[in-house]
Order: sequence, then structure tokens, then C-alpha cells
Amino acid sequence: MESNVDTQQQISETLLLPQEVLLSAGVHIGTRVKTKDMEPFIYKVRPDGLYVLDMEKMNDRIKIASKFLSRMNLSKVVVASSKRYGRSPVEMFCKVIGCKPMTGRFTSGTFTNPAYSDFFEPTAVIVTDSLADDQIVEEASQCGVPVIALASTDNSKMNADLIIPMNNKGRRALAIAFWLIAKEILKEKNELPANGEMRYSIDDFETNG
Amino acid sequence: MSTCISCGRKVTPEEKAVKMTCPNCGGITIWRCEKCRLFGRTYRCPACGFTGP
Repeated sequence: MESNVDTQQQISETLLLPQEVLLSAGVHIGTRVKTKDMEPFIYKVRPDGLYVLDMEKMNDRIKIASKFLSRMNLSKVVVASSKRYGRSPVEMFCKVIGCKPMTGRFTSGTFTNPAYSDFFEPTAVIVTDSLADDQIVEEASQCGVPVIALASTDNSKMNADLIIPMNNKGRRALAIAFWLIAKEILKEKNELPANGEMRYSIDDFETNG
Repeated sequence: MSTCISCGRKVTPEEKAVKMTCPNCGGITIWRCEKCRLFGRTYRCPACGFTGP
């Protein structure tokens, strides 16, 4: 029993945010649908049938994604969200980091048609949901651009190069995801001290209304 | 010619493959062929042991 408490404490210490904050935002909550691709990231099934994601793996993947992005030219990184709750976190993330936001409807040919007026060649693409943002994932795969995808239990690994397993449907969960990635990127780029806090809070990233 | 890290096949220039550094260590250049990306096949960094996607 004591060793179980110690393990819980160790897990809590390695997490980027206190466990209570993450649990209250529901970043670990998945859906009632499970895909084979997401099986390694699933921790357990709740009695009501909801699959729960592994928070340690989510934590590790956020760190890895931040390391990966910090090595890139961030002005050419596209962050996309067609979901309503993802728009505000994405726009705030791009404001802090200096990426290019693409919220709402994605026009076909933005990455593949050089004759299009808004044509853009990204170095990496981050999507909030590979199912909802399927067009952007498809175009990124045609251009040979690495895709980082936030994925819940019902998503697939198709055309994704790095998966961050977490709740990509919740308003607070999406705000926490982008806030954490932004903070870790700033730390990796030495723009923020190791124990420093960002100017912006999680509430600034959250969609209001 | 580069080879896909998952299946070991040669990656042709006309293929929709991806070239990236290892997300974890950044020391190794990873090539993933079109099929391995589409099917979501796992890749493993030979330097740090990171397994993706």
C-alpha cells in the first residue's frame, strides 16, 4: 500500500502540471470508441465504458513534441484546428510561439497548389484532431511534411509522424495541451528559465463562451 | 538512395515520403515511406530508441 502511494507521488512529480489540475481538466478522458492504433496509450477502461489515456505517456510525448518543434523554424510551422474549442488555443499558441494558425475551414490546395494566392509551404504541421482536420493531414502527407497530431482513443495513426495521446475534444484540455507545448518550447529555446512561468495563463488559452 | 526506417525499402524521389530528424534526440535523420506513413507503421530511432508515431 505504501509503495503504491510512493509510485503515485513519483508520477505526480514527473508530470508537467500537478496531477489534480490535469485530472480536473479531463486531459486523460478518452471516448467510448477504441482504435487498435491507440491501444498502447490506453491506461484502463472505466465502468461506464470510457477509455482513459495514460497521463505519463501524454507527458512524455508533449516533451518530445516540444523538443522536435524547437529545432525547427517556427515561423513555417502550421497549427490547425477546425474544431471550435481548438481555435482560441491555437491562435494563442501561434501568438506566443510565432507559428502560422489555420483555424476554421481549410481551403484545399493551400499546401499543394502553387497557383493559389494563399499557398504556403510548411516545415511541420500540428493538428488537433486527425479526423476533423483530415484535409490538412492529407495535403501535408502529399508534401512530405511531418505531422504532429493530438489524438484521443478514437483516432488513427494514419499519416501522422508523432502522436500526442490526450483528450482533443474538451475545451480546458485543449487549452492545457497548447499551453504546455508552448511553455516547453520556450524552455527548450532558453527563452524561459527552467522554473519560470509564462506571461500567459491557461485561462488565456481557453475558448470563452 | 535513402531507405525507410520502418520497412527498409528504398525511398524513391517521386514517393510521398517524409524526411525528419528523430523527434526525441534530433541526431538521426528518419525517412518514412508513403506506405508506412499511411498504415501508421511504427519506427524506432537507432540512436535513442524512441518508438513512434
